[in-house]
Amino acid sequence: MRYLLFVPLVLFVALAQVAAAPYFPLLGVTANPLLVLLMCWAMVRGPRETMVLIPLAGTFKDLITTDPVGVSALALLPIVPLAAIRERRPTESEFLPTLAVVAVASLSYHLLYMMALTAVGDGPPWLQSPMRVVLPAALFNALVTPVFYLPVRWATTLSEMVRPSMSVSG
Amino acid sequence: MRTLVWLLVVGLLALLGIALSQQGALDPLKNGALTVASPLERGLRTAASPAADFFDNVTDRQDLEEENRLLRQQIEELTAEIARLKESQFMAADLAELAEVEESRPNDQFLVARVIARDPSNLKERLAIDHGSKDGVSEGMVVMSEGGSLVGVISKVLDDFAWVTLITDSNSNVNAMVLESRAQGVVSGSLHDGLSMDLIPQDAEVEPGNTVATSGLGGNFPQALLIGQVASVRGEAQDVFRKAEVEPAASLSRLENVLVLTSFTATHLESP
Repeated sequence: MRYLLFVPLVLFVALAQVAAAPYFPLLGVTANPLLVLLMCWAMVRGPRETMVLIPLAGTFKDLITTDPVGVSALALLPIVPLAAIRERRPTESEFLPTLAVVAVASLSYHLLYMMALTAVGDGPPWLQSPMRVVLPAALFNALVTPVFYLPVRWATTLSEMVRPSMSVSG
Repeated sequence: MRTLVWLLVVGLLALLGIALSQQGALDPLKNGALTVASPLERGLRTAASPAADFFDNVTDRQDLEEENRLLRQQIEELTAEIARLKESQFMAADLAELAEVEESRPNDQFLVARVIARDPSNLKERLAIDHGSKDGVSEGMVVMSEGGSLVGVISKVLDDFAWVTLITDSNSNVNAMVLESRAQGVVSGSLHDGLSMDLIPQDAEVEPGNTVATSGLGGNFPQALLIGQVASVRGEAQDVFRKAEVEPAASLSRLENVLVLTSFTATHLESP
């Protein structure tokens, strides 16, 4: 039932990324809201739901861009193993590890994405990409993390508050 | 264990999807998705436009932006006109072969297309237009701005949509010449570093402000199509070639409509 809400939300973010994100560049690059949202989601709610959302959102994004279908899903895969850091609780705060894994997920996303594009003969210049795209994008994605982390955190806290009260009253 | 299985399954499915995409087997699906998504995308772009303008320059007022847009368009049109005039002057004076090329395409035909999306990947400079193979668009067709300068080339065609690879894309190369000196070179895109013209002979006279247009060499682009203006020239005396930074004439980051040159067919030359 919850996926009826989650799937349209993630697809909307994918659509918004294609439609609007290129018009908000910073450091010469645009953010990847889909990656940031899914990473925040996995960190706050656990990776189980993102295991469903990643293939759907990645495929949808590829269908409406020039990318071969499957490239984005492939590049988003590391989100799930990266979310394992959540179980280790390296700091008291949940937000700081989220910031760090968003940056790492952004780096791995670009690495896999560039490898896939190169494999299909549409690769970017590898020497220029790290300084001009990969690192600035990781920084930008980390900067926009609060925009996605806070709503996901609040929504999760709210649902956790509602659920016990429902079970008690029921 | 479950995560590992999931990674393997999704990874393999993704690779399968990539392989199918390369064969064009998923093009109908892409066309369908774009048909559904393009009105929503347009709505989102329209909704985001004021914020994007604000993001662009917080101090700009709406009327100044409009005036600026009009002035930019006028500059582009006038520069394109100057390029055409310079080319006409040159043709009239010396080069009969240029005249032949010009005469060989007296009635250029254009298709006006609306830009519906931009590639968000940071690594590619591409945009989607709302016309595809059903409208006569095919791969290799040249795309121009409303002002008449070169924007890019059609790189992928679906039934109702097409993707344009911009001249600023890192995989884009255009044979070009500096109109004032007739110096030839190759205009290439790069990652977020604009356009540059490489392979300019050391002895060629190239200065900032010079006009750069397509040379027509190679047959992929028509001749004398405005690309931009030389912003700066680099290169030491001992270098074989010099390099010029080129400011594109078209405002490539904010294109809303483009012209697809349907009457020009790219020639793919084979080695002898």
